[in-house]
Order: sequence, then C-alpha cells, then structure tokens
Amino acid sequence: MSDTPVVPPSTVVLVSGGSRGLGLAIVTDLLAAGTKVAAFARTVTPELAQLAAEHPDRVHVGAVDVTDLPAVQAFVREVEQRLGPVDGLVNNAAVGQDSMHTHTSTADLARIVETNLTAPLQLTRLVVRRMLGQGRRGRIVNVTSICAQRGFPGLVAYSATKGGMDAATRSLARELGGRLLVNAVAPGFFASEMSAVLGSTQLDQIVRRTPTGHLTEPAEVVPVVRMLLREQTNINGQVIVVDGAASV
Amino acid sequence: MDELSRAQIRDLMAQVLANQGKALPDDDGTDLREIGFRSLDFSELALRVEDETGEELNFDAPGLRRIATVGDVLDFLVTLQRQ
Repeated sequence: MSDTPVVPPSTVVLVSGGSRGLGLAIVTDLLAAGTKVAAFARTVTPELAQLAAEHPDRVHVGAVDVTDLPAVQAFVREVEQRLGPVDGLVNNAAVGQDSMHTHTSTADLARIVETNLTAPLQLTRLVVRRMLGQGRRGRIVNVTSICAQRGFPGLVAYSATKGGMDAATRSLARELGGRLLVNAVAPGFFASEMSAVLGSTQLDQIVRRTPTGHLTEPAEVVPVVRMLLREQTNINGQVIVVDGAASV
Repeated sequence: MDELSRAQIRDLMAQVLANQGKALPDDDGTDLREIGFRSLDFSELALRVEDETGEELNFDAPGLRRIATVGDVLDFLVTLQRQ
C-alpha cells in the first residue's frame, strides 16, 4: 500500500464558464450531487442566477472574464470566504473559432490563445497554489475537445489551445505527484454551440461516422466530469474522449 | 493602395483558375461547384487581393459558406475590402 493518501472527493468546485451550455450543466449536476459550486462567466445568465437563488448556501456566482486575472483572484477569495476552500476546479471557459487560419486576424488569434490556454493555465496556477499552500488535496478537470486530437478546418487556433490543455493536463498530473488528480474530458462536437462553427455537411459527416449515431450532448459529458471530481479512482493525467467513438 | 474593383478581382479570379487549367466563365451566375472553385481557391484569391491592396482581409467561415456563385465571390470581396 502506498503512503500517499487518496485524494478525497471535491467538496467545493470552481467552474469557469459556468453560465450556459456544458458549463451550466456541470454546475447543475454537481449541485445535485451535493457539492458546493462556484461558477463565473463573462455574463451571469438567468439560469445560473436562479441556481444561486435556489441554493444560496451552496452556490456562489459572479460575472468575471476569465482573462481578467485580478478579477478572477478576487472571485476565488470571495468563494473561499463564502463556501470554504476550493478543492476542485473545472476549466471550462473557452471561446470558439470559425475561420480559416490564413484569414483569422492576429488579434483574434491572440484572443483565442489568451482565453482558451493562458487564462486556464493562470486559473489553475492560482487554485493549485492555494491548495498546496494550505496542505489540501484536490482535483482538476480540464474541458478540452476532440479538436485537440483530430483535425477540423476552421478551428486551427482553437485546436491548438485544446491540445495545449491536454498536454498541460499530463504534465500537471506528473508535477503534482498525486496530491492533485488532474484530468481532461474531451467532448466531441455538441449539436449546439460549438457545432455552429461547422457546416451542415461536416456535421452530417461526423454523425454518419459516429457509431452511436448522434452528436455528443452535455448530459453525456457531465457524469464523466462528476466521476473525475467525486469518485475514488486512480485516473490521473488522462484525456477522456466522449464522442461516441466518432474519432476511433 | 486603393481597393480593387470588381473587374480587377474578376481578373485575379481568372488567374487563380487559369493556374489550375480552368477557365472563368463570363456568367457571374455560374455555380462555383461547376468550375471547381473551392474554399482554398477563395483563400488564394483573397490573398492575391491582399497583395494588391496591402490590406489584410480577415473573415469568418459562415460568410464563406453562403457563397455559391462567381458573382457571390466578387461581391463578398468587394464588400470585405470596405470593412
């Protein structure tokens, strides 16, 4: 038996980009599982605000841009005061892309990299520093994408950032020596939101090549995120693809 | 340099096709699929326009997906230069 104690289930989880889509589904699911949840996004949607109103003792939300590091730091301090020390992080906030690389402006390239790669690395650093500094253990789940592993036109910078987060997941798991479990979940294309960047021909092609016969739904991803945050497993440094075997 | 006219862009489009051994029809209503003008050809044309004007032409894919005819290509690039 190893001397390293197991990492306990997360009890206070911070979710970036938690106001809609998969992020909102993750927040809702974690609440149902009894977890305290802090969520931020550029805009707090009525759905997220309603969750906060319904669970005032277990939810803290804020309108914070993930690229605004001082605002993110202030939000984390608020969360710790209201809900207790953060021992779980879901890096979900991201911006999409729908443009050929040659015709994507340099400003847009910088924005995609800043939002999807730099910001989650900074948020992770912030949260890990607080966990380690307080002698706590915890878990991190990075929401990446099948784009990190397979090529799709119009998503060059987006794919690069998601691949970067997959790579960071592995290295961080090594670096943190088992005190934190760090994993990634890589969904296939959702029927909504990010899939708007693909043409109907591409989407039809993906569906035809998917053995399960349908695009991934957020409801099919949240149990995996919950498992990584809550269940006792020895999964660490992995990227779990949820795409109905479309990419296999 | 000033923006290119529709006719000048048409000439460049003809060059892109000529490099592939294809001819640009006179009819602006010609479907791009008939002449095998694909998204990368559009990209090449846009870059040629950039070379002439010295201004980057950046755009998202949805606008590109609405382009179906030779005239759509020319209209798109004329409009894009003014943005």
